[in-house]
Amino acid sequence: MGKHNLQLTRRLLLAFLAVWLVFTLFPLYFMLVTSLKPVDEINRMVPTFWPETMQVGNYAGIFADPGSLQSIVDSLIVSSANTVLSLFLGTLAGYALARYLRGPVGENLAFFILSQRMFPPVAILIPMFFLFDATPWGADSHISLIILYLVFNMPLATWLMMVFFRDTPRELEEAAYLDGYRPFRAFFKVTLPLVFPGMISVAMLCWIFAWNEYLFANILTGTSVKTFPVHIPTFTQGSQTLWNLVMAFSLVAMLPPVILFIVLRRYMVRGLSLGVVKG
Amino acid sequence: MTTTEPTQAPAQRVINGRASRIDPKDYPDWFKAKRRGGSLIVHPLVPAVMVGLPILVIVAIVIYPTIWMFYHAFHDTNMMSLFSGDWAAVGFDNFGLVLSSDRFLSSIERLGIYLLFGACLQVLLGTALALLLYEGIRNNLARTIILILLVLPMMLPPSIVGVLWKFLLQANNGAINHLLINIGVMEATARIEWLDSGLSLWSLVLADTWQWTALPLLIVYSGRVSLPPAVYEAARVDGASSWRVLSRITLPMLREIIAIAFIIRFMDAYKFVDKVYVMTSGGPAESSELPVFVAFQKGIREFQIGEAAAYAILIFLFAAILVTLFLQYLKRVLRAQQTQ
Repeated sequence: MGKHNLQLTRRLLLAFLAVWLVFTLFPLYFMLVTSLKPVDEINRMVPTFWPETMQVGNYAGIFADPGSLQSIVDSLIVSSANTVLSLFLGTLAGYALARYLRGPVGENLAFFILSQRMFPPVAILIPMFFLFDATPWGADSHISLIILYLVFNMPLATWLMMVFFRDTPRELEEAAYLDGYRPFRAFFKVTLPLVFPGMISVAMLCWIFAWNEYLFANILTGTSVKTFPVHIPTFTQGSQTLWNLVMAFSLVAMLPPVILFIVLRRYMVRGLSLGVVKG
Repeated sequence: MTTTEPTQAPAQRVINGRASRIDPKDYPDWFKAKRRGGSLIVHPLVPAVMVGLPILVIVAIVIYPTIWMFYHAFHDTNMMSLFSGDWAAVGFDNFGLVLSSDRFLSSIERLGIYLLFGACLQVLLGTALALLLYEGIRNNLARTIILILLVLPMMLPPSIVGVLWKFLLQANNGAINHLLINIGVMEATARIEWLDSGLSLWSLVLADTWQWTALPLLIVYSGRVSLPPAVYEAARVDGASSWRVLSRITLPMLREIIAIAFIIRFMDAYKFVDKVYVMTSGGPAESSELPVFVAFQKGIREFQIGEAAAYAILIFLFAAILVTLFLQYLKRVLRAQQTQ
């Protein structure tokens, strides 16, 4: 390959990257533009690529709508409670798997727990739709979602906490034992501070997965409890979809995950790759 | 942090320490070690309880419903009989019904298309883009900013991405059609019916690719960042061409990470259903139904619980094969990482 040829290839490849960047950003740009338009401008036959009339009030419009506020509250309750529960169970099990059960039994248990995350939830959701109705709180409640989101968040938390605990040198704990620390105290004083950053990232990851979840919420809830991913597609007035509010709300709901990602990027990559990429 | 406190001088204290009988060599079995009084330092039940709690949760919310499904897959349960409690065993009838139905077979075919042109292509694209971004952009800050921009779609809930693309792909006044007209690809009067039966599956693939190419991209990019620079330095000194560096160094070293990205993406894609609900509801005329979606429709909209269970079991069994294979691979990768 000649030098000229190489330059050309390089340019072509960079052009491909640029095209993909445009492809990624255009829908987001159009989302932003749409969120600033009035409804009648959105419904025109030819869409405008820049709002003729700016209507920043759309963003206030979300918060004026009681249903939207309620959906944010519902989402916050479900995702936060589920995160706490997942992290608690995951830390316990992850610690036991990393420290006490290092043989083949522990390894198989760890992979069994992780495998629960990979299965399609179809074999769980259909029965749960009927089984939760028999419980005192019913299917259409916060508790049912908080419990069911454990299906995907608890295996993730367990697995990742195990990976993080394995990374902390066990010699520190042994030294603590020799100093007369009880295991409980050694765990809190020595090991937990070391895995704390990892724990935060696991919590954030669990929180985002629960925050963005749609399928479980759509099938089990929707009347008395309505998380925002279920609420947004129903943003209508009569037969008309209020696209500007849909887009404004979506952009607002996107902010927490984006901010968390920017701050905790390294840890999140570790979590998203099941601990394989050290990041 | 308090981590330094116990580590400072453990050696002198060993002699009069309360737990002096522990020999560090006995670790990981040190929960068998005893205190002076003879009681166990960590009761053997402690780890059992710690791992037992999540297992208990899994039994309650995963195993029990799965058994429920297995049971009803062999019965003629529907909405009425479920509540009155009278269902009859029908053997493999439900499975026969499912396997012989066109609806199931064509949904499998669509899943094949989706996995090939959705999931697989996303991993290939993501890998290519990640390496391009790392090698092509020299400025560190610019690289990070572009990475964050490329990953933005992943931060939206999949259902919202469905809503967004449904909006963009409207035939008459959708942004995509008019964008194509504006840049001169299409005539002003032409309209592509993206959500019609001919293209609805491909529109789903498009929206999904827009969102999830970012995941393999992010994983592979981070993997590339963590490769040792010394190897590349050596290759540069030897005068290896960039093509050779890519095919002989980068790709082989990233092989496992790319495989893991593929596994994660593939398993997610296999249960893909949320955008189907929001964008097309399986339609028009069942033209974008995937197996998981059909199972949900059968069970929760049409209340044919026996048949839905048969669907779910078939999907589950195939997933079990995939998951087993994937976990075997993951086990190997992690073992290799630990011995390094």
